Amino acid sequence: MSDAPAVQIHRLSKSFGGIEVLRDVDLTVYKGEVVSVLGSSGSGKSTMLRCINWLEEPDRGTIRIAGTRIGVDDKGRKMNNRELAAIRARTGMVFQSFNLWPHLTVLQNVMESPIQVKGMHKDEAHAVASALLEKVGMAEKADAYPFTLSGGQKQRVAIARALAMSPEVILFDEPTSALDPERVGEVLQVMKNLSAEGYTMIVVTHEMEFARAVSDQVVFLEKGLIIEKAAPEKFFTRPETERVRRFLELSA
Amino acid sequence: MSEWSIIWEARDLFFAGIWNTLVLFVLSFVAAFVLGCGMLFLLEERTRLSIVLRWVINLMRMLPFLILAYLLYYGLPQLGLRMSAWTAGLIALTIYHAAYIAEILRGARIVLPAGQIEAAKAHGFRPFRLFYRILLPQLVIKTRPLLGNQLIYALKDTAFLTIITVQELTAAANSVQATYFIPTEAFVVVIFFYWIISIALELALKWAGRFGAKRGFEHV
Amino acid sequence: MNGQAWMLLLEGAWTTVWISGIAIALGVVIGLVIAMVRMARIPFIDQILVLYVSLARATPLVTLSLFLFLATPTFGIAMDRNTAAILALTLNTAAFNAEVWRSAFLSFSREQKEAAMACGMTNGTFFRRIMLPQMFTSSLPGLVNEMSFLIKSSPAIAVIGVVELTRVTNRITAVTYEPLPPILAAAVLYMLIIGALLKLQAIAEKKANRLAM
Repeated sequence: MSDAPAVQIHRLSKSFGGIEVLRDVDLTVYKGEVVSVLGSSGSGKSTMLRCINWLEEPDRGTIRIAGTRIGVDDKGRKMNNRELAAIRARTGMVFQSFNLWPHLTVLQNVMESPIQVKGMHKDEAHAVASALLEKVGMAEKADAYPFTLSGGQKQRVAIARALAMSPEVILFDEPTSALDPERVGEVLQVMKNLSAEGYTMIVVTHEMEFARAVSDQVVFLEKGLIIEKAAPEKFFTRPETERVRRFLELSA
Repeated sequence: MSEWSIIWEARDLFFAGIWNTLVLFVLSFVAAFVLGCGMLFLLEERTRLSIVLRWVINLMRMLPFLILAYLLYYGLPQLGLRMSAWTAGLIALTIYHAAYIAEILRGARIVLPAGQIEAAKAHGFRPFRLFYRILLPQLVIKTRPLLGNQLIYALKDTAFLTIITVQELTAAANSVQATYFIPTEAFVVVIFFYWIISIALELALKWAGRFGAKRGFEHV
Repeated sequence: MNGQAWMLLLEGAWTTVWISGIAIALGVVIGLVIAMVRMARIPFIDQILVLYVSLARATPLVTLSLFLFLATPTFGIAMDRNTAAILALTLNTAAFNAEVWRSAFLSFSREQKEAAMACGMTNGTFFRRIMLPQMFTSSLPGLVNEMSFLIKSSPAIAVIGVVELTRVTNRITAVTYEPLPPILAAAVLYMLIIGALLKLQAIAEKKANRLAM
């Protein structure tokens, strides 16, 4: 299975209260790729991301993480919580509102899942977490509690927390939308570094510059449909649809 | 079912108890509310009196109600000040709960934005009128849930007075059970009464909450 | 007041402290269990617990103590004064603590749960490692507040003859014929106990505020 794509989404559909937020979405993300998902708010992009690790349960369609189907096993049986947790452990997620655990220090936030979920030894988890905090530039805040950090610092810790599980893919759900403008850059820089290191990332974002500079693929969602999927040069210079052209003009 | 018919026979005792409890509760709480608001007004300006009041409030927060009742009923006669258990109970309830009401209102007072007070001053309001017309109404609306809790505490504190021999509801149950040896029935009846009064108070508070909600005070 | 009076007073204070202490410890745990069972919303059991909490909060401790002490023997359960006192205090404080715990449960953020799920934690791990520790911190101010209320209502057990800190003043007066000194001394001892709890509550509040990021 080593050459299976990191994420395969096939005919994914989801409705909330009779409103279709995703319609037959197909997307394949290969190892080491960065995919940016764009679209106006309410286009379904966050829902798509949250379906990938089954925080939202899709109505139809299949999702595979490195070849393994999530949510439903190959015989069509619904997974129980334990099985779901085991697959989720192979993905990482970074939330818009950080969602750090406030009762744990920065270092403990990063160490918690490797120890509790993977059964990693405490010393090893400590070494891994310290190295990751170094990577996101938060090593000197290791013993601080989340409430003392700025938004940008919290988000960098949240990224380290996601990396600590050595995930097949990291899902970013508008990671810079809740930040003060002057804090956006530090988080994007960390994400750029990760892409250069070969991490597989799916990024729901409004940061056009980032999408253009870092992505391998750009996906545009509109009312639950993928209406464009292209390499960034093509997407940003020669979009195929009028909708995307208008979107790019408005966000320029 | 003969026990229940005994209870029915003794109904006058229970009614007298309820009546006494309700009179003590209503009189003392109304007095405590007025006194508590008065204390809050005196706390507006930093004077020697306001410093003493702060001490009294903090003192009450650290004392059981019964100790205050003991002080008035058993302690003061030593200084030649003698009063009936009923009067001592009423005064103790009033002072004790006035301090708690003042503290509740003060908690809301310190987080009240200064702007509207300045607006009222700019309109030429004098201190008492400003307090009575502008400050107090909003403080009461905002602290309704806490004042409501205090109301229930005050009701329950009346039962302590049975220990200093006031003939209220719990004392009624105690004397019925002692005369007829039916403790279960006697106390089930009075606990039921306390429960009904509490529920009635809670419903009244909920109803009062609409008054605040109509004026846009959140979840009061 | 002579040395013997002070000894009696301190014994009364000790009785207040140990009986309340046991009731507090039991009440905190039972309150948590009630809150957790209520979160599961099991029909019938849920209604029973709602009824219990509502009744226990409305019943004065004096009345409850008398009821338990006098009524249980008619059901063939012999209970000494201290046991009845502990039971009454526990039944009372557990109901209030259940509400403190429950509001901490209800206000817990869904987002933190999602973060735990996304890391591959099971519900059990999440509850044990992420939710419960925070519930302790965020409930502590409310629990300590309830503890000081319990101490303030503990003189109620005097009504069934437990010689605690308030009741002991009657004993001393019976010998000295001077009621004022022992009552004032008891008041000072109460202030020390409850003042310490209020201080603890302030510290707990400061700590809990850190969780509300």
